This record gives sequence, structure tokens and C-alpha cells, in this order.
Amino acid sequence: MTPVAIRLTVNGRPESLVDVPSGERLLDTLRWRLSLKGTKEGCRTGGCGACTVLVDGRSTLSCLTLAREVEGSEITTIEGVGRDGTGARVQEAFRAAGAVQCGYCTPGFVMALTGLLKERARADGFDALLEDLGGNLCRCTGYAAIVRAAAALRPGTGAP
Amino acid sequence: MTALRPDLAEKVNGTVRYGADLEAPGMLWGALVPAPVAHGRIRTVDLAPARALSGVVAIGAADLSKLVGGREGDALRPAFPHETIEYLHQPIAAVAAPTLALARAAARAVRVVVDPLPVVSDLESLFPAWPPPEASRSPAVAAHVHARRGDVEEAFRRAETVVRELYRTASVHQVALEPHACLAEVSGERWHVRTSTQSPFGVREDVASVLGIPESSIVVDGTWVGGGFGGKGSSFLEPWALLLSRASGRPVRLALTYREEFLLGRTTLPSVVRMETAVAGGRITARRVRLLLDVGTSLPGRDFATGYSIGFLLGPYRSPVFEVEGYAVRTNKPPFGPHRAPFAPQCAFVVESHLESVARAAGLDPVAFKADHLWRTGDSTPFGQTVADFGLPAALAAARTLADEWRRASVPGRGVGVAVGFWSTSTGAGGEAHLVLAPSGLRILQGEREIGSGSVLVGLAAVAERRSGIPRSRIRVEYADTSRAPYDAGVFGSRTVGALGRAVDEALVSLLGSLRARIGADGPISLAEEGEEIVVRAGERRWPLSELLTPAERAAGGIHAGGKHYGRAGTLDERVVVDGAFYPYTDFTGAAHVAEVAVDPATGAIRVVRYAAFHDVGTVIDAPSARAQVEGGVVMGLGTALTEEAIWSEDGRLLNAGLVDYRIPTLGEAPPIDVTFVEGYPGAGPFGAKGLGEPPIIPVPAAVASAVRAAVGAHATELPLTPERIARALKRPEP
Amino acid sequence: MADFELVAPATPEEAIASLRTGPPGAVAVLGGGTDLLFDLEEGRSAPERVVSLRRLPWRTLEWNGNALTIGSTLPLRTLENDPLLRARIPGLHSAVRAVGSVALRQRATLGGNLGRSAPASDLVPMLLALDAEVLLLGPAGERRLTVDGFVQGSRRTALGPAELIRAVRIPEARPSAYHWQRVRPFHDISHMAVAVAFSPSARAWRVAVAGFPPRPLRVPEAEAALGSARPDADAVHRAAEEIARRAPIVADHRASEEYRRQLVRPLLERAVDATVRGGR
Repeated sequence: MTPVAIRLTVNGRPESLVDVPSGERLLDTLRWRLSLKGTKEGCRTGGCGACTVLVDGRSTLSCLTLAREVEGSEITTIEGVGRDGTGARVQEAFRAAGAVQCGYCTPGFVMALTGLLKERARADGFDALLEDLGGNLCRCTGYAAIVRAAAALRPGTGAP
Repeated sequence: MTALRPDLAEKVNGTVRYGADLEAPGMLWGALVPAPVAHGRIRTVDLAPARALSGVVAIGAADLSKLVGGREGDALRPAFPHETIEYLHQPIAAVAAPTLALARAAARAVRVVVDPLPVVSDLESLFPAWPPPEASRSPAVAAHVHARRGDVEEAFRRAETVVRELYRTASVHQVALEPHACLAEVSGERWHVRTSTQSPFGVREDVASVLGIPESSIVVDGTWVGGGFGGKGSSFLEPWALLLSRASGRPVRLALTYREEFLLGRTTLPSVVRMETAVAGGRITARRVRLLLDVGTSLPGRDFATGYSIGFLLGPYRSPVFEVEGYAVRTNKPPFGPHRAPFAPQCAFVVESHLESVARAAGLDPVAFKADHLWRTGDSTPFGQTVADFGLPAALAAARTLADEWRRASVPGRGVGVAVGFWSTSTGAGGEAHLVLAPSGLRILQGEREIGSGSVLVGLAAVAERRSGIPRSRIRVEYADTSRAPYDAGVFGSRTVGALGRAVDEALVSLLGSLRARIGADGPISLAEEGEEIVVRAGERRWPLSELLTPAERAAGGIHAGGKHYGRAGTLDERVVVDGAFYPYTDFTGAAHVAEVAVDPATGAIRVVRYAAFHDVGTVIDAPSARAQVEGGVVMGLGTALTEEAIWSEDGRLLNAGLVDYRIPTLGEAPPIDVTFVEGYPGAGPFGAKGLGEPPIIPVPAAVASAVRAAVGAHATELPLTPERIARALKRPEP
Repeated sequence: MADFELVAPATPEEAIASLRTGPPGAVAVLGGGTDLLFDLEEGRSAPERVVSLRRLPWRTLEWNGNALTIGSTLPLRTLENDPLLRARIPGLHSAVRAVGSVALRQRATLGGNLGRSAPASDLVPMLLALDAEVLLLGPAGERRLTVDGFVQGSRRTALGPAELIRAVRIPEARPSAYHWQRVRPFHDISHMAVAVAFSPSARAWRVAVAGFPPRPLRVPEAEAALGSARPDADAVHRAAEEIARRAPIVADHRASEEYRRQLVRPLLERAVDATVRGGR
């Protein structure tokens, strides 16, 4: 029950946070403590992907992650992802393809795709990449423009 | 090169702020106290245990009058129920606290004692058969509509073929990813609320009505909207948040959890439809449509859905002899509410599937049969409206050609389906815009937030560019709250470009007229960007705009002009109406869709392989946005077609109130989609544009169902077409 | 939600002690947290103490010849990305990919999935078909159970009050396959699933079915009916009939009993076929 101080590195910046309750989710830490509201709150139960961030480079559902469980980790959010080459390329691909309507799913998609591209040593092909994006829901675009954005990042894969 | 959307960079960088992101210094967090039963009489709502928690404010029905200074709101929809709980989780009190965790704890601490009453969660448990005439006076019926023309009985007697079928459709949710959220701040007699809404002015009107305070005391400030789809079209959380702010003297943030989105959401509810059609000599000679629509706890006399949607069950087809009758049935669920083209995709599924059955029974080709009966420009609808400039026949012709091509290339286990749907653009609702033309560019001031489709930020700018010649890089669409912006009805009903766009266009026409007079031009003039400034062109001559401004205009920042569009409401042929209120459709548009599916005969699983959509749009205003609207609408429609279904238990519990079991399409189910626009059939919008918000979703379930029949002969009569339903239909395959 | 005490012991011994000393019935174990935080958000669980396993040295994956030992706190995504898994135990690779989304699997663990033991678990049926064992650590030391013995019912296991799942051991790599049926193909809960594997050492099939309450289960009669390494269509048909006869298949809001029974045969046929062909 004792709130404690924790340290995180968020978008390259060391953060020391005090009085973090045990049950506080990384999502809330980012949004309400650090005012990084680019990370979106959707379902809070892992079903939509809107809250995806990178924890030590891996795409992670910040709604299903306790802040204190990732103590000492490097967190990257949509506010910082553009400083990384892969992240910047993903953002540019979304812009160029116009893969955005209401934009609420966009940060999560950018983070998930960035995480996948960073993680992907094995060449599973474009279809597997798309399947791996299945945890990110979008209600506006029908995914068509998002697929076009992803295809632009993986040229020569025979993508639609 | 087409201009990119102006909001792309902000959205990709995550700097856009939505309603769910709002906060203010000293803010309290709100939470709603849910009703513990789906139906019951309230004995006590004891707020004392919540109020005993430090920093907690709690309000209930007993506090309402005091909080609004003794004024009275709409007695039929108080902010909290005084006596009767009508659906499970219905908010019966609200709390606010310095932290969300404390607010939730306080909400749980409220002691509620109720006497349970019998629950009706399924309309068929009330009306297992078609209701007797006296049912229209039953308290379980919120509305009864009935219309007919001609001697229906005689036509059925004389028919060569009669087909009677029963269809069922499921409840679907909007599933905007951003939950409803607002931030209210009341000070003195200023009731201020920032909220994620499709209609700031609509919220103002609703709040005034619910709380009984004058509109002039209310300011509604829209935020960026994380998806609306009809679910954010009217007030929802705002009255509760405002009351909590009034009670606490602090700003209050109130947002739904995603679970509450499902539990409290006002959306399309289930239906049962009986369809009967008579055919003689290859022509439809009579039709009968009987609809039971679940409207949840929609208020008696205020149901909009039944009279509105029942015309969609006749489809865009010539029906000289017909009878339609519908009951809006009250159940213990939240009220029926708009969901992108409310109930129209379900209606299209029913009528398209039924007419396919009719054609098959009469030994006719279904698509040719439909094409033969389709409205043509100049036709009269069953309700006596004239169908002007109707591009659907051309869209269907193009769809048929493509479908034939796909059929020739198809393989066993796959099938190609074709279906149509129509829509009536809500250009009747009013809107106004205020324009300021300065040497540096054009500002469009108006009262709507961009909800995602691009209709505000892209659509209005594209209309202005096309009318004036000013490049979009020099046009800014600016938003203002309801205290400063000119009125607009809301971003819904495929009306934004059509109606608000017309207001922008009218303002520009008057601006151009004023400029023409200033330069003394006879012929047409246009505006353009030259260097850093807007210039006026007439023939070979040009004038820098800065030289045409009066000193007073310079002081005012440019030339101001207002435009408004208050469209005509449609008219009904009252002679066909027997009972109830029908919606007079206007400004017809339509779409023809082609789906190719692969069906796994062992499991009933459907995969949509590819998809094509042909849309009557009058004129394309912005091609990328238009295409994106159709792509998004089609995939949303695939959810209605294949997987989406809210399921209630007998005691009124929603069993799948979450995104795991309420299944919207993921990237994996989205097929490649070809989009074609049929132009040349002008609508009421600027440059003859027709709306495109709703039409893309309407034919989708019908097109998929048709393709499944073609693939494996499974005629499913219930939405969604889950693998299990298809597997069941496969046990009695069609020839 | 009410807050809880969160402890992250550095050693297994401390973890067990902290489980033992916690308020009875009010201690929860946190692996990746994806299930626990879901339950907390939905108000289905209100622990007073949560014991996090994150500092324990159990994020391991170890091939020992043909046997595989998976530490209980290894993220499923790491397991899925193991370069050998897909070729050696294709059924487990499929089953892991059937769980949630990538971002969920970056935190979700095999230990968590087993500990929860949901009737619709995609992993438990595959582990059953692989004759996997669960290595438990408790106050009395280590013990080893078969997965079959460990999973007792819907969300009921043989785990003692102060015991932890340390690892899961798969005794041998097997040609295998996992096939499931859902309303939505991706990112949904399987309402019927069939896991099959062929044991090279025992020259015998293993068949498990899942997706309905109370728990995934093996069907030995179906295994016997499949018989040889390359069963013919009749044998598969007989095996499917055995499953339909023996498995206590029931209805819930996801699927009817009849439909679930109907799915047994196609899923089994496809899984056996994929196993024989060495694919997924």
C-alpha cells in the first residue's frame, strides 16, 4: 500500500517519480503524471492497442503494465519515437499514405509498427507483418491506408 | 498533387488533444453509480457512505432541482431516475473525487436499495408472433408506424409467386476508440463544458433541455473527436459532469470506461423483420414489410428509428402496391441511438437478401431483377418523394459488369455477390459559416470539430478552393465554441460537406460578387495565390487583394462574409400514412457493392477475398478523403456483416461488454477494396456533391450475404453471418 | 480500485515466503500481468498483496537435445521468436501466436497462462499434446506434475497456496499442429480447438481439445484411433467420433454444443494432415 518512488527513462529523459501507487498503470503514469497524452487510452484491457508504447524497444500495452513493474526501463512514446530512425520512417509513411482519420489509433499503430520493424530479424514476409498488427484496432480507415503505409516501409515484398 | 490533410502531422506526432485527454487545474474525477438491476423500483439511494470519504462530492436525483436553481428540465428524461430503473448500469447517481481511484471507490460505496421488477431483454419474448392491433397502445410500444398504398391483399391473391421470409438482425455498437469524455466547469451562471462531440450545438440544446437552464448560459466547446459514428451526436455525459462541477465548485472530468461504453452506449438494437413479396409476370406486384425494432428505453413518442428506417426495408425499388408496419418495442436496455446509417445496413441486408430469394423463386436472375425494379431519376418513392438525379442505376450497372468479370475468374468455394443500398443525405439540417478573406488567405470560421472523416478540415476547404481558386494551403478552417461560432446542426447524416459546405459556398459566392463589383468586372473572376498574396483575376487582369480592402476591412482583418444553408425538409405523401410518423427522405444517393468471399464449408467461416464499391456522389470534392470514407465504411460494414453482435442475457446483462468478445474487424479481415465514384447525378451539396459518411456501410452485409449464397448456397437470415450461422444454413442449402 | 501491496522478491525463496505470509486468499501472483490487470480493471479481483515474479531468474528458454524447458516468466513473444521452435514444435509456435496480440505477448507468459488455466487457453491443449510437465516450487521444495495433472478445472489448478510455477518442460520435440475456430479469425477467443502431436519416441499420437468449459483435455481413445504415423481418412474419422463421444462439449454464449461438435472433425483432419506434412 506504500506508494514508492521509481525511476524510468522516458523518451531518453530520466524521470524520477514519487508516490506511485502499486496499482498505477504505465498508461496513467505517462498520461497524467508526465502529461504525455499522445499515448491514448482506449479499452484499458488490452483489446485495442491504442496505448501501445515501447518498453526497452518492445511494443507493450501500457494499460496492462504496472508502472512499478517496468522500473528502470526505457520507455518510448509517440512523443519520442521520431528521434529514432525507424520511428521517424514509420511516422513519415503514415503521413505520406494519409493513413489517419480520427487519429486516435494512430500513435498506437506507429508504436506497434516501429516495434515490429525493430524486432524483426527474421523475414516472415509482409502477410505475417500485417497479422502481427492485428492487435491494433482502427474504426475509421478500414486499415487500407495503414496497409499502404506499412507496404511503403517494406518495398519489394509484393504487398498489395 | 492533392493537398495532404492539414491534421496529419499533429495526429502522427500524437500532439492532438481529444476529449479523453482533457484536464484542468484543481480538477476532480467523476464516476457514475450504476443501477444494480435491469428493471426495478428505487427505494433508496444512500449517498452518505460516498460523501463520508474525504474530498468526495456525490449527487443523486434528490439533488437535481437544487443544483439547477430550482429550474425544471425535461421531466421525461431527468439526469437521474427518480423512481424507476430501466436498464442495468443506468446511472442513478454520480460522484467526483480528487483521484479516479477514489471516485470509483466512492461510486461503489453508494448504497442502493431497489425492488426488482420483471426484465424484458428480448423483444421476441414480448412479441413471439406479430403483435395484435391493440399492441400499439401497449406501454411496451414506443411507436407504431403503418403505411400502405393500393390493394395489397388482392395483389397477393393474384400473384404467381409469393415469398415470405423472416429475418433477424443484431445490435451493433459504434466502437469509436475514444471513450466518451468531457470536462465541465461551472462558474456562476456560466455552464461550460469541453467535450468530444459530433455536435456542439446539439449538446447545448440537449443540456438546456435536460437541466432546464437557458442555452445562453451554456457554452459547449468541442475537442478533437476520436471517432464518432453517431455515438457522439448528442449529449451524454455532459449534464452529469456539469452537475458535479456545480456541486463541487471545481472542474470535473467525466469519462466512460470502455466497459461502460458498451453497457451505457446508445446504439442500433436488434430487430425481427417479416418480408412478403408477390410477383406476377416477372414484376413485383405487391410487398409487405413488418418490423419489430428493439428501441431499448427510448421514450414513448420520441422514437425516431422506426419511422425513419422502415422505408429502407422497401429498398430503392419501385413498389406501387405496398404495406409497411412497424413497432418500436421497449426493452430494458439503453435507448436506441444513432450508429453510422442507423439500422440502414441491416435493412439493406434484409431487403436485398429477400429480393434475391424472390428472384430465385420466380426463376429470374437476382441482379437483373433488382436492376429492373430500381428507382430511376424522376421516379416516385413509395412515400411519394421524387427521386432526383439518381446515380444508383449507373452504379449497379458498373457493379454488374465487374461482378461478371470476377465470377469468370472465381473458383469453387468462392462466390461473388452484388447488393445495393440507398441513403438520404440530411441536408435539411441547418448550418452557417463565417468567412474572412485577407491578403494572406481565407479563414473559414465555423462550429464543428473534425471527427476523422475529413469532412470539416478537408471538405470545407476543398469546397472553398474549388469555388474561389485559392489554394488549400491558403485556406484555414477554424473552429470556435458555441458562444462564438455560427450555428451548425452537427457532423452527422452525411451532411457536413453537403449542408455546411453549401454555407461556405454561399459565403464565397457573395465574397466573389463583392470583389467583382469592386473591380468592375462583367465576367467571372477568380482568386489565386501570387507570391505571398491573394490576387483577384478577371480575364488577363489582376488586382492584389490588399488594394481592394477598405480601411475598415483592413482593421477587421479582411473582408467578412456569412453563408448559411437551411435545406428543405422532404415531404411525404400523407395519403399513404395510416398511423405514426415517417421520415421524409430527401437528396437520394446510393451505392452498389461487389464482394467476393471464400467459404469454408466444414466450419462456415467466411473470408472476404476482395471488394469493390461504386458510389453515386454527385461530384467528388476531395478524392483521397472520399476514397478513405468508403474504405472505412466498408470494413465497418464487414463487422456488422460478419462478427459484431451485442448479446444480452435474459436478466438484461450485456454478456460481451468488451473488445475481446464484441468483435470489430481487425487488419486481418480487411480485404483489398476498389472504390469507384459515379459522377454526373448532382445532389443538393456544393457543386452537386452528395454525402458519403453513411452510404459506404449500407450495402456491405447484403453484398457479403449474397456472395455467401453464390459460393455455397447458404442463405443465412440472421446477422451477423458468424461461422456458426453459416454452418447451420449449410445444412439446408439452396439449389 | 483499492490499491494493493506490490512486492517483487529477488529470489524464489523470498517469493514463496511472501506468498505464504500474505493475507490468506488475498495474494495474487503477477507474471506478465496481462490477465491480472484485466481482472483488476474489470473489478473481478481485489488482491491485498501482489507478488511480482519479474526479478526471478526464470526468463529462460533451454533446448536440451530434443527437450525444451521454458521458464515460467519468459514472455510468449520471446518463445515465439525462438529460431528453433517453429521447425521443431510447430504446433506450439501456432498456439503461442494464437494468444492475444504481439504487444500482449511481449508481456504475457507461459506460467501465467497455465496458472490461470482458462477453459479457452490456446496453450494448455498444445502442452497436453506434448506431454509437457510443470515444474513447481513451493515451501516443501520442487515437485513435478504433468500438465494434465496440474490443470484441474476452469481456473482451477493443483498449485499449492504458496507454490509457484517455475518452468514448463516439454520432453521431446514433436511434429504437431494447433487448429482453432473463432468468430473472428484474428485476436479472438477460440471456441473450439484441437491440438495434435505425434511422439517419435512412443510412436503414438496425442490429441487434446479445448475451447469449452471446464478445461482442455486429452482424448486417449482418439489417440488410439489415429494409430499409425500416417493415419488414413477412416482412422481420422474414427478419432473424431471418439472425441465427439468422449469430450464433455457444452454450449456458452460463444458457440452452441452442436456447432462445437461439428467442428471437431474438420479441425482434427486439418491438424493431423498438417502434422503428417510437417507443417503447422
